[in-house]
Amino acid sequence: MIREGLAVAESWFDGIPVRRLLEDGLETRFPLPPGDRPLVDPGAAVLPGDPLLEHLRDRRIDEVTVHAGEAGRPIPGSRWAPTPGRRHRDHEIEGELLAPLPGKGDRWRLVTGDHRVTLPSPVAGVVTEVRPGAEIRLRPDGRVLRAAFAAGSPARGRLELATDPFGDLRPGGIDVGRAGSILVVGSRIDAEALTRARAMGVRGIVVASLPGKELRDFQASERRQRAALHAPPPFGVLALEGALRRSIPGPIMALLERFAGRDVALLVDPPALVFEGEDLASAEMDPTWVRIRSGPNAGAEGRLLGPAGLRRFAAGVHLEAAFVELEGEGPLAVPLGDLERYG
Amino acid sequence: MAVALVGRVDARWRLLGSTAGPVGVPEEALLERLRGRLAAADPALASDLGLLDPDSAAGIPRLTCSTTSAPELAVVAATDRVLAPLVAAASSAGWRVRPLVLDGSEILGVATSLADPRVRAVLAGASDPPGADERALIGDLGALVAATTERRPDLVAVLSGGLAEPGGPVEGLFRPDRSGPTVLAPSPTVGGGEPLRALLDDLRGGADDGRRALAAATGTLADVLQRRIEVVEIGRSGATRAAAAWTAGTVAVPRTANVPEAALLPRSFSDAHLDAVMGWLTVPLDRLRVRDRLRELALAPWGDAAGDGAQLRIAAARAALERLVAATPGFDALPAPDLVIASGGAWHVAPGPAVALALADVLRRPGVRAAGLDHARLLAPLGTIEDPEERYAVMADLRDDLVVPLGTVLMPAGMRAGRSMGRMVINGDGGPVELDLVPGGLELVDLPPGERAVVELDLRDPVRLGLRTRHVAMEVAGGLGGLLVDLRDVPLPLPARLERRRELLASWQAALWPELEP
Repeated sequence: MIREGLAVAESWFDGIPVRRLLEDGLETRFPLPPGDRPLVDPGAAVLPGDPLLEHLRDRRIDEVTVHAGEAGRPIPGSRWAPTPGRRHRDHEIEGELLAPLPGKGDRWRLVTGDHRVTLPSPVAGVVTEVRPGAEIRLRPDGRVLRAAFAAGSPARGRLELATDPFGDLRPGGIDVGRAGSILVVGSRIDAEALTRARAMGVRGIVVASLPGKELRDFQASERRQRAALHAPPPFGVLALEGALRRSIPGPIMALLERFAGRDVALLVDPPALVFEGEDLASAEMDPTWVRIRSGPNAGAEGRLLGPAGLRRFAAGVHLEAAFVELEGEGPLAVPLGDLERYG
Repeated sequence: MAVALVGRVDARWRLLGSTAGPVGVPEEALLERLRGRLAAADPALASDLGLLDPDSAAGIPRLTCSTTSAPELAVVAATDRVLAPLVAAASSAGWRVRPLVLDGSEILGVATSLADPRVRAVLAGASDPPGADERALIGDLGALVAATTERRPDLVAVLSGGLAEPGGPVEGLFRPDRSGPTVLAPSPTVGGGEPLRALLDDLRGGADDGRRALAAATGTLADVLQRRIEVVEIGRSGATRAAAAWTAGTVAVPRTANVPEAALLPRSFSDAHLDAVMGWLTVPLDRLRVRDRLRELALAPWGDAAGDGAQLRIAAARAALERLVAATPGFDALPAPDLVIASGGAWHVAPGPAVALALADVLRRPGVRAAGLDHARLLAPLGTIEDPEERYAVMADLRDDLVVPLGTVLMPAGMRAGRSMGRMVINGDGGPVELDLVPGGLELVDLPPGERAVVELDLRDPVRLGLRTRHVAMEVAGGLGGLLVDLRDVPLPLPARLERRRELLASWQAALWPELEP
């Protein structure tokens, strides 16, 4: 009876938000604080591994005398180096002009440093914008799977499935054989396993959920690593769903299985996984397949049977709902706000 | 996203239905849901309105507005002393504020923050004339902000107070031909900061801004109801406090503040925010769990709305309302409102009486006031009607549909603790009800929506109830929560120990939210 109702009321599907599996047109940003030097120009096409920017690891400010040259007055954000061959106390300094020193004529503050590292692009794409002192924006060539949040730095590696969608990767389960890979680790991971993965040369972790405590611990560890003398290789963590434990959604797991063994890029801002190459068309999705995103049955998936109308739920809360058939269970009324479809 | 259907019935506008859905759900789907319900419930009315057939609602005229994420404003000054009033004015103007001070900071850190692409405008200010503590840093301040606009010519630069001299040395540092404006603004000390706040609010842009529209609707509703009204809106991206008072023969001018920091879960969410939510929570959840659930709530505000998810949400809403009240101290100097209206998605999961209690918990002002809920989230869209007369006419038609009455809160202050302070007689339709008034308690009197009663207070000692009095009689209106006699102290004292505090809050809430499991 409910299925018949569904046939005449398919517009009800539209009341359930659709989560796009593969998207196009995303722009990713790479921070370019004052002092860092862009190595690309707007419109440039970059390949994975191409140098994107030169990052100063020990930024500091020096004062230099800047004379207006043929190009006109000096501009904040422009690069500055002393005129070659002239004896000058600023001789060794090179960097980015920050701002003039007030009341000191042609003296300027210059952002400079001694330790520089080149950051490569993790993804193929086109540079859309370069803002010295602010950011580089890049539009990836591939298609994108968006995630809830990310931590660490953008990275690139071979996609490998380390556990099933419900799995939980322990530190002992990660060895050096996983070096260079981006691991899909199922439902959750702790900070200890994350730091071990980084130490083993893993480039990234894709996980369904990352609790706040693990995220904070990992971020603190990451800050210590970045402050070390030698820059660590890029390593990022991508949480697909959120902070509370649940499995990787079935349609997303199917997608990850499809691209396993291929190189993918893990982006942090915005959080996403980029798939490149051929065969990037989205798979046909069953429009009645839904996942319970939140609430008591979070993580369960099933088939949409039909609208349940405004219903009363726990604590006397009235919410719009739909009937969902979960595997091995009868129809269950679930608030529409807890459901998501895939497309 | 919320959609309400308004139609012309018997020559006046009436609310025909309302619904809401998660972001990403097409507006048409929600509208079709409402149309379908109207057609099923009253086919004759649906037919008269031309809404009987599927998709027949697609072409009807609409009033739309939206509340988007607040843009970021860097507020920079030489010293903390100068920074504080600038931040106070900016943080209630709808901007997310990034405060920066030069004194004691590294120039590189300040410059990096100013250049951050997420910053859309910079407000730089100095005392007028500059104080001794800031004179040495004024040059650096101007040079840094001007250099930032050279990097980002589109950046909006606002110079305030001592920096805002027309044609002065600081303004001269900014290129006049850049794409972004350089605005000379009043000092935050002028007019209590209101002129600066209003200017910053205008600079924020957003033609269909729901929060500005809500303020306009508040003014009109005050005129329609001939009352002093205060609207407190708590949303995902920010919060609004708007107040307006009716005066015969004039149009009510609303006072408004738009505070992103008072969003249900602000972007700057920190341990202090978490502690504030924990302080209002009535379910025993551990701190780490609450943090994770709030993170989920930020990712999907429409999810997990039942059960203890609803309690978590109402605790977060109370904490947000506290922040809103703290950020808008000027409103407390206005005469107390006759009607307080809760608006925004944060209030919609809890039953009406529980919302009335939440308002009483946080808005601690002695007096008698009605509480209402903008249940159809219709106030802000109506505020987008540009012609004030047309807006008045539509809202006058809809006056009985706009706000669900939650009840009346009677909140005396200045009571002596520990003994009965007197008695109260409520003369309603069901006959008189007598109450012994014991300070510290919360009494609930059943008074359904639509009913009115006369309350007589006979007290041993004078209390503050708008005015200081011992004997008073007043008419009160009923609501979903009835009459709430709030004999708790003003401000509300709560135990410091979390468990004890939770028990106390739960005991107050139990009477007004009986569906909760003990």
